[in-house]
Amino acid sequence: MEGIITIISQVVFWGLYAGCIYILLATGLNLIFGVMKIVNFAHGEFLMLGTYITFSFFVLSGFNPYVLLCASLPILVVVGIITERLCFRPILGTGKLNEIFVSLGIIYVFQNVVAMLWTDEWKTIQSPYKDITISWGSVQVPLDYFIIIGITICILIGLYLFLHRTSLGRAIRATSQNRKGAMLMGINVEQMDMLTFGIGAGLAGAAGTLWAVSGQVFNPYMGSIPAIKGFAIIIIGGLGSIAGAIVGGLIIGLAENFTSFTLGGAWKDAVSFIILIIVLIVKPTGLFGGKDE
Amino acid sequence: MLQVRSLNVSYSALQVLWDINIDIQKGEIVTLVGSNGAGKTTLVSSILGFTKASSGNILFKGKEIQGEPPYDIVREGLSLVPEKRELFSRMTVLENLTLGAYFRKDESSTDEIFHLFPALKEAKDRNAGLLSGGQQQMLAIARCLMSKPEMIILDEPSLGLSPKFVHNVLEAVKSLNDEGLTILLVEQNVRRALEISDRGYVLENGQIVKSGSAEMFLEDDAIKEAYLGI
Repeated sequence: MEGIITIISQVVFWGLYAGCIYILLATGLNLIFGVMKIVNFAHGEFLMLGTYITFSFFVLSGFNPYVLLCASLPILVVVGIITERLCFRPILGTGKLNEIFVSLGIIYVFQNVVAMLWTDEWKTIQSPYKDITISWGSVQVPLDYFIIIGITICILIGLYLFLHRTSLGRAIRATSQNRKGAMLMGINVEQMDMLTFGIGAGLAGAAGTLWAVSGQVFNPYMGSIPAIKGFAIIIIGGLGSIAGAIVGGLIIGLAENFTSFTLGGAWKDAVSFIILIIVLIVKPTGLFGGKDE
Repeated sequence: MLQVRSLNVSYSALQVLWDINIDIQKGEIVTLVGSNGAGKTTLVSSILGFTKASSGNILFKGKEIQGEPPYDIVREGLSLVPEKRELFSRMTVLENLTLGAYFRKDESSTDEIFHLFPALKEAKDRNAGLLSGGQQQMLAIARCLMSKPEMIILDEPSLGLSPKFVHNVLEAVKSLNDEGLTILLVEQNVRRALEISDRGYVLENGQIVKSGSAEMFLEDDAIKEAYLGI
């Protein structure tokens, strides 16, 4: 009995930690969808770029990889702003199909540029705390999990304060709720698009650092599966709902890890989509759909 | 203050406005009269830059604003209370008002606005989407005023309101004008609108067919028959 509880607790922590990366991805996707109404299929590439930026700075500087959040996040904000300005702004409002193909095109550009710069071999880095575990009775949890969960909570609180307490954040929310109304307030909605896309990419970049720090492997093509799960999460949680993205991310993180523990690793990726299908049948607008922002 | 010169507007192949000329002086209140589908809302959305004109000029304070994006036109001091109100329905009344003053560097005070619309003060922490139709209209006007515009266009402010609210809204419009605000009023409630106006224009099938003083409009038999229902 003791053994089972220990194992379950460890799976829960593993799930929470995995959920953090999904939450950061899905929150960014949701912000971008809310303001621009576009579905950015290339969002996983920002995560991938975040892992490589962390990797490069780690190899070059030897800094504690957690500190490299201060590099990956702002660099990805800039990459996101440039991507929006060059690729999405010119085609905004010309039809969904154009947006889909532009974002599919961006996937290949990013993947090939990264493969060219860093080759396409699997890479990994190690956290300086990887051997430290925190004991809680018989439960052993790596310190890294606590740090990653803590960092994610801090980023989400920061995002909340920015969106609700600052003038710029309010303008982003206004653009998301009513674009025409926002223009009548003198809000330059194109700037809000650019800024939102940058923030979304920055959150994905932070997720990339956390991905790398936790010791997971990465290569230039690793972004797709997490991105698809990000989509599943925002559909489960409700399009445009940040609370939904958080709950959805935790559900997927926990479900995946319980599944791989009980049914085996092969079911890990399938379970997200089984949950997605169930949610769509029971509540097509998602768990938090149409209420929150 | 606002001059529209030979404005033509088309939606792809369909021309909806022909050679529109309108002149509004500072401090005036002018009513635009027209039946459903005459092109009133298209004219308003062209002036604000939401709809691109195919030819013609729009001058505000002598400066060409045709072709500018709406958010720049609003910053020039010309604002709109749109027909659909376009409130931020999942934000509180207070947040909506704060956004109204978004581009003003000096902290615009809500005290004046609450003095003008006391009902909004009581509801300041409620979400805009939960207000009654009349309160939403007041919030839309109040939010627009927060940017301290020099001229506002009101598109159907009395649409869907009870007669008591219509009276309140038009009273508020009149008192704003008395304080120096230039107003273009687009109204279906023609009689009430003309009673508080200086001048009027009649828009029919995308063309200005008549213009003159409000008194003249109220006496005009053709207008009485077509729009006043007498």
